Amino acid sequence: MFAAMHAGRVKGMLCIGQNPATSLNAKLEREALRKLDWLVVKDNWIHETANFWKSAPEVTKGEVKAQDIKTEVFFFPVSQVAEDEGTYTNTQRLLQFHFKAAEAPGDCRSDTWFVYQLGKRLKKLYADSTLPRDEGWKNLVFDYEHEGENERKKGDPSNPKILKEINGFATDDPGRHMPGFAALKDDGSTTCASWIYCGVYPAPDKNLAARRTADPPGTPGAQLGWGWAWPSNRRVMYNRASADPDGKPWSERKKWVWWDEEQKKWTGYDVPDYPATKAPTDKAKPGAAGMDALPGTAPFIMRPDGLGWLFVPSGLVDGPLPTHYEPAESPVKNPLYEQQTSPVMKYWKDDANPLAEVGDPKFPYVMTTYRLTEHYLAGAMSRWNPWLTELQPELFIELSPELAGEKKIANLDWVTISSPRGKIRAKALVTRRLRPFTIDGKVVHQVGMPWHWGYEGLSRGDIVNELTALVGDPNVSIHEGKTFVCNVEKA
Amino acid sequence: MPEPMGFYTDTTVCIGCKACEVACKEWNQLPSTNGGLNTLSGNSYDNTRRLDGIHWRHVKFIEQFPEDRRDGRWLLMSDVCKHCVQAGCLEVCPTGAIIRTEFDTVVIQSDACNGCRDCIAACPFGVIEMNPVAGTAQKCTLCYDRLQGGLEPACSKACPTQSIQFGTINQLRDRAQKRVAQLHQSGETRAYLYGADEKILGGLNSFYLLVDKPEVYGLPSDPKMPTRNLKPGAWFSVLGGMLVGLLGVISFRNRGSGEPRP
Ligand code: SF4
Repeated sequence: MFAAMHAGRVKGMLCIGQNPATSLNAKLEREALRKLDWLVVKDNWIHETANFWKSAPEVTKGEVKAQDIKTEVFFFPVSQVAEDEGTYTNTQRLLQFHFKAAEAPGDCRSDTWFVYQLGKRLKKLYADSTLPRDEGWKNLVFDYEHEGENERKKGDPSNPKILKEINGFATDDPGRHMPGFAALKDDGSTTCASWIYCGVYPAPDKNLAARRTADPPGTPGAQLGWGWAWPSNRRVMYNRASADPDGKPWSERKKWVWWDEEQKKWTGYDVPDYPATKAPTDKAKPGAAGMDALPGTAPFIMRPDGLGWLFVPSGLVDGPLPTHYEPAESPVKNPLYEQQTSPVMKYWKDDANPLAEVGDPKFPYVMTTYRLTEHYLAGAMSRWNPWLTELQPELFIELSPELAGEKKIANLDWVTISSPRGKIRAKALVTRRLRPFTIDGKVVHQVGMPWHWGYEGLSRGDIVNELTALVGDPNVSIHEGKTFVCNVEKA
Repeated sequence: MPEPMGFYTDTTVCIGCKACEVACKEWNQLPSTNGGLNTLSGNSYDNTRRLDGIHWRHVKFIEQFPEDRRDGRWLLMSDVCKHCVQAGCLEVCPTGAIIRTEFDTVVIQSDACNGCRDCIAACPFGVIEMNPVAGTAQKCTLCYDRLQGGLEPACSKACPTQSIQFGTINQLRDRAQKRVAQLHQSGETRAYLYGADEKILGGLNSFYLLVDKPEVYGLPSDPKMPTRNLKPGAWFSVLGGMLVGLLGVISFRNRGSGEPRP
């Protein structure tokens, strides 16, 4: 997206809970922000992205003048989590409802307020359109008025109404919520925004994400009465794999779901991720579709053959087997193959996104970046909090005593770090936790930096992502900011 | 009267997340060093540096990596007031501000403290310091207010690994001994308990499982009470006591003028 923005192909951006001015190849990203007509930032603090036109290094150094930046920036102060009610969904697929603990200060509004109001205003703009492409807007039902008068006056939507729409209900009897995705029909008689969440809100007085019943201490269980997990409150996917082909637990300690021979069905601590009565002895039916095509021993029900794959002939861009390629930048030749880097790696070609040649003597060291427990991502949720900034107050670079000795760098000295993309400063933290490697007979030094800092907030420091490149993995574009080459000099 | 309560800190499972430090500050509403504008210490990941009047929990980071990097380890230890059975601070406090609570913990009552600093010198662990905002000597209260409300202390509640455990001293000692046996069995023969019996100051109600000498963690191997050298009936002690009392009265009048920590 930022590559497209940098090429001038994106006009506007709604930036909600993100801070791209400190993201990969940060200078390129800020240059891209300067090409927007408008930028809306909705956050707790006026962070680096909100102020990229004013306090970014290129502006304070005079390379770019604020008055020459045409981007119109709007800032919306937003409430914090504890100032709203709603649900959290974590990467374990667990939805947990939380209440509002405090009123948000001043003009701060919730994310749902913003999206609801934006939707209502857009709907109004399209109301008189006769263009067929706007039919969607005209027919969109967008009615989540809050039950409470105060909130309604403020324009807040009703979160239960939104959750109900996501969960699903009977089209001609909206009071009847859908109990689970098996009840959904494709004839218009049911309405559901997202089938995976169907069942979280099975009745108007039953929000299962709000449950707080833990299993008794010391007893095995899946905590099924705590919150709700999508889909179907199942806590572990493909959990038939916790039993052997005969349906018996692999071990007593790892018991999770199993085949109950007497009752002829799957049972266990968790909700079985399997047709309830499909026996382990079931044979695959030739020519059948769906689960009938799989034998009762195959646990990975979303795979065509029901099995987990080590050899992956289809689906992966860089399959069928894992191998070793060097990163996009490396001080050494790939010791395994002629092919240096993955032939299908994603690289965004741009003059502002250069890469170093293999073994470039100008950038002899390997850099890795990481996070600290005290800060969160680009820092908007932590660098403004004095209880956290006192714990990790300043940007630093970790280097081994061996490299520090070579470079005459003492602990806490200021150091300049450069890569083909940029140059930053940080304090040295000399530690034996870092060590020189010997690769192919050559000593290679590695250095490491946490990347949470930026030019706004209570604790400020240079942006480590000024050094990183826009390079992504071939399957899902996960960036390669964790490894690249650099140089380190005493400042 | 409730049973004696305290902390058992198993340093072998601490991950150095500092959740205990933050939970303590949040519950007790303690200020941050220089409003949060702190500087890098250069000593591993420890930037709050020590226990003092605004840091009632402090996580130590001890890097033990030999030159060849073999058998390297990063010792982590969440330090706190030891709530000694024989507490030096309590013994020297001239105003009676320091009390032993019904939970057998040691608490400085801020409203009775005159800021004379005697307790600061008397503590063999260097736990107490002035809180520049309050102008009184402060330290961990073992969350006296939470305990009275039937809650566990904020730090142990927040600790994600149960490195900090709260409970009755009997129960904690029992648990700690089992853990030492378990560690010995699995080959970590350096594990031992510090302060879990009467040998150190009559027992520490906040005791530790360590895997190196106490000094490595900045703990004295044989801490003493401040009165250890006093001969009963000696004139100088009486005079000294009177002097302390007098100084106490004077300091009481100067209370609140304590200069902030540099
Ligand atoms: S919260 Fe627990 S694990 Fe984290 S630093 Fe404190 S004692 Fe260690």
